Amino acid sequence: MFETLLKYPAAVFSKGEFVFLSGLPGWMLWACALAAAAALGWALWRRRTPGTGLFAGRRWIAVWLLQSALAALLLVMLWRPALSVSTLKPHQNIVAVLVDDSRSMAKVEDGKARIERAKEALQGGALERLQKQFQVRIYRFGNQLEPASKIETLAPVSQATHIGAALKQIALEASSLPIGAVVLVSDGADNRGGVDRETIAELRRRRLPVHTVGVGREAPEQDIEIAGVVAPSRTLADSRLSAEVTLRQNGYQGRKVKLTVSENGKPLASQMVTLAKNGVPQTETVQFNAGIAGAKTLDFSVELQEGEENPQNNSVQRLLQVDAEKPRILYIEGEPRWELKFIRRALEEDRNLQLVSMLRTTQNKIYRQGLDPANPKELEQGFPSTPEELFGYQALILGNIEAAYFTPAQQELIREFANRRGGGVLFLGGRSALSDGGWAASAAGELLPVRLPDRKGTFHRDPAQARLTAAGRDSLICRLVEGADANAERWKKLPSLADYQEVGEPKPAALVLAESVTGNGRAYPLLVTQNYGLGRTALFATGGSWRWKMLQPSTDRTHVIFWQQLARWLVNGSPSPVTLSTNRPVLMDEGEVKLRVQARNKAYAPLTDARVEAHFVGPDGSAGTIELTPSPLEPGVYEGEWTAAKPGSYLVEAAATRGKEVLGHDKITFRREDGVAENFRTEQNRELLEKLAEETGGRYFRLDELSKLDQEVAYSEAGLTVRELHELWNMPVLLVVLFVLKAAEWLLRRRWGAV
Amino acid sequence: MGRRWILAAAVVLLGASVTYAWQRRGMRGGFFDFEDNPAAIPADASEKTEFYWARLRYQDFSGWGGRRGFGRSWTTDYPKNDRLLLQAVRRLTRIHARSMEHVVDLQSDDLFNYPFLYAVEVGHWDLSDAEAKKLREYLDRGGFLMVDDFHGTLEWQVFMMGLSKVFPDRPVVDIEDKDAIFHVLYDLDQRVQIPGIAALWNGVTYEKDGVVPRWRAVYDDKGRIVVAICHNMDLGDAWEWADRPEYPEHYASLAFRIAINYIIYAMTH
Repeated sequence: MFETLLKYPAAVFSKGEFVFLSGLPGWMLWACALAAAAALGWALWRRRTPGTGLFAGRRWIAVWLLQSALAALLLVMLWRPALSVSTLKPHQNIVAVLVDDSRSMAKVEDGKARIERAKEALQGGALERLQKQFQVRIYRFGNQLEPASKIETLAPVSQATHIGAALKQIALEASSLPIGAVVLVSDGADNRGGVDRETIAELRRRRLPVHTVGVGREAPEQDIEIAGVVAPSRTLADSRLSAEVTLRQNGYQGRKVKLTVSENGKPLASQMVTLAKNGVPQTETVQFNAGIAGAKTLDFSVELQEGEENPQNNSVQRLLQVDAEKPRILYIEGEPRWELKFIRRALEEDRNLQLVSMLRTTQNKIYRQGLDPANPKELEQGFPSTPEELFGYQALILGNIEAAYFTPAQQELIREFANRRGGGVLFLGGRSALSDGGWAASAAGELLPVRLPDRKGTFHRDPAQARLTAAGRDSLICRLVEGADANAERWKKLPSLADYQEVGEPKPAALVLAESVTGNGRAYPLLVTQNYGLGRTALFATGGSWRWKMLQPSTDRTHVIFWQQLARWLVNGSPSPVTLSTNRPVLMDEGEVKLRVQARNKAYAPLTDARVEAHFVGPDGSAGTIELTPSPLEPGVYEGEWTAAKPGSYLVEAAATRGKEVLGHDKITFRREDGVAENFRTEQNRELLEKLAEETGGRYFRLDELSKLDQEVAYSEAGLTVRELHELWNMPVLLVVLFVLKAAEWLLRRRWGAV
Repeated sequence: MGRRWILAAAVVLLGASVTYAWQRRGMRGGFFDFEDNPAAIPADASEKTEFYWARLRYQDFSGWGGRRGFGRSWTTDYPKNDRLLLQAVRRLTRIHARSMEHVVDLQSDDLFNYPFLYAVEVGHWDLSDAEAKKLREYLDRGGFLMVDDFHGTLEWQVFMMGLSKVFPDRPVVDIEDKDAIFHVLYDLDQRVQIPGIAALWNGVTYEKDGVVPRWRAVYDDKGRIVVAICHNMDLGDAWEWADRPEYPEHYASLAFRIAINYIIYAMTH
């Protein structure tokens, strides 16, 4: 119908450039049209008649509009409109047909594998029509792009789908071959990060259209899939961890299923989840304990339901490196307080944390606890005044102590502790803390996650009740018992705090986890956190949480759990001087791993003259060593690549040395998984395919639309092309419009009794 | 003056005495108790502070006929020794301490608001099972008990009768010189018997058969002192009479130092 009325296929209109062939200027067309309309209007206006008659009232206006439109259309036709479109020269261009041969194409739907359906559709005439006009080259792609001799030989064997890499390679080939268009036949189930902007830009620069052909159902009828897991990759032993698990399901809406985290088959945590609407991703938070130190493989799984089409996408594995290190927290307290005693008791129960405290017992005496047995002179000279000394701790707690106790240099050092060293800093409330301690005007006060009021008298020794906020309900710091609702109820039953402090408004990036509600019902931020520089800062605006211990049964662990979780939040993420990381802790069907080591000295300044080596141990005990090279762009950063040959878990340990001096070392784990990626996101990713076609000037086709593929492919600006002119004045649709305009006028006149 | 007038005057006098004694009981507990050495209530006694010197009010055997009741043992040296000690604490340390003592007893949950507890003359205390259980709970939660001013074998035995109800599972041990409680602020390297005020007259620093002073303690599982026991010494008298010229200054100073160390230890361990 489209071509019957408009004479040409839609591709001509979508890709063509509109021109006039008469040689007359365009402005003249508009001038003539206006002149004709004016002349017609003047003639009709003169013939108008008041009261009754042919042109009584405003009837002349309707006739004028119809006649003016007719005149304008005739004038346009006289100007010879046409479409200029770039067309591939027949038999001189190559059309690359890329067929996805990954394992997801083996999925059987309605009794037939996807790849078989694709082959049938191509062989049902579409390929033949292309071959009549172009050289057709068939490629298969999964992990990489490879030429395929015949379409019949294609089989779904590749372990992964990497559309981006395939297109990148074809764009590269287009630089030396007259490739006029790309036809990509796939289910779009890319599991290597999609198509990057660079590849899209390259295709657009070459004006190479990618026509996509979608294969497979767009949604399964019955399936539950773990679409993603966001979990920390390293932590301290016995840490409480939180992971976000994204589920997507079809056919089981409203059903309750069990979500489990396990390690070596031993459940660490499980919870019941009510499945959301079909096809809508839902994210669930699951919390569990990291356990003892070591490299662990965590399995996140949803129990298999009856009738699931794909039983292999119900579990996902993630690696977790549990460090045996014992971070050290420095706590300075300006006067003896119960809070110090009870915090110390709570953290002493955590075998993975070390609390070093310095307490001003008198004006000039400091009582030190938790000292390093190997260094009895630790903190003997008072609060650290050098980065080497202070940055040896992972976190800092500033108790009831005024800002003026610290020199300006020490205040700046505290700021740098969070900003540059990446440590955690916690401010407590107290009669000499926060606003009452002059912190609002200090350099280190910038660390605070709230805007302190600039006045004294903000500390009150009156009871206040702690109340969780919405953010606090989800926070690991505040999780006293399992279950968000049960936890919120637990907080309501906590004994009141011994005191509270007014702290002002939270800063924009801060998160208020709890508030203190006073006797008169006013609420002030109690527990507030924020990220600062490379580190974290927090505020706990009270010195009276010890009542949570003294006013509850001795067996109650609320106070202990809270302080351990807050302390772990403070130290988690505080990097050691030498840190090793990788871009991908889980390698899907590939072995190339990139390593990055950041080497710093004890003052956390970049180490540019270190020798950095990485030692690998594979799953079969095989070992390898590489030397990392300094990054030219980032001082103190060393990079390297290595290939993990076999599937399994790998341990990497990097060491930075200078001469015989070991400057520091770090270790991580990564895992190579083969044949797993294709189990996920197996439905057709139409969104990706449509977007890819749209971005490159191509078109998305269903398998049953391939009859029009050759027409669409013919119009391209890539390869060897010729510009064709398609005149439009004789399109049937214009004649129809002319007839309609004149017929409408005639009908009006007849209605008015003139005919 | 007729007999009726004499009788009326006697009734009025008796009434006034009873009223006065009753008012004193409100502060002290014993119906006919009297302060050893009265002290004025400090002007800032109502200030809200971090540290409260909590004096334990307990039942003893000093009731009529040796019956159990709130006798006067717990009030010994009260309240002057508390207030003089608190003056020293406030002057010599950074502890934000209330200037006046606070009385708590084992029958009230108010006890748990005060993590430091001082009990005197515990050689007379008589803890019921319920009170012992509550004291144990208090200590298990993190409370600290300091006991003082009891002497000799008999009073030790009475004290242990109560303490063994609290800690049937824990021994009482001598505190070693190196323990933090003797070094947390002052280094208390010498063990000197602190005598009561009676030593001024009789020249004897001990009472009953308590010749050898004992610094003892009950420790918890983590090696922290939870009950500090000052046996065969009278720190309370030393604080109380610190302002009396005749009382030897070195005893008073040492008594203050011991108390301050014990308080800071309780606030840090």
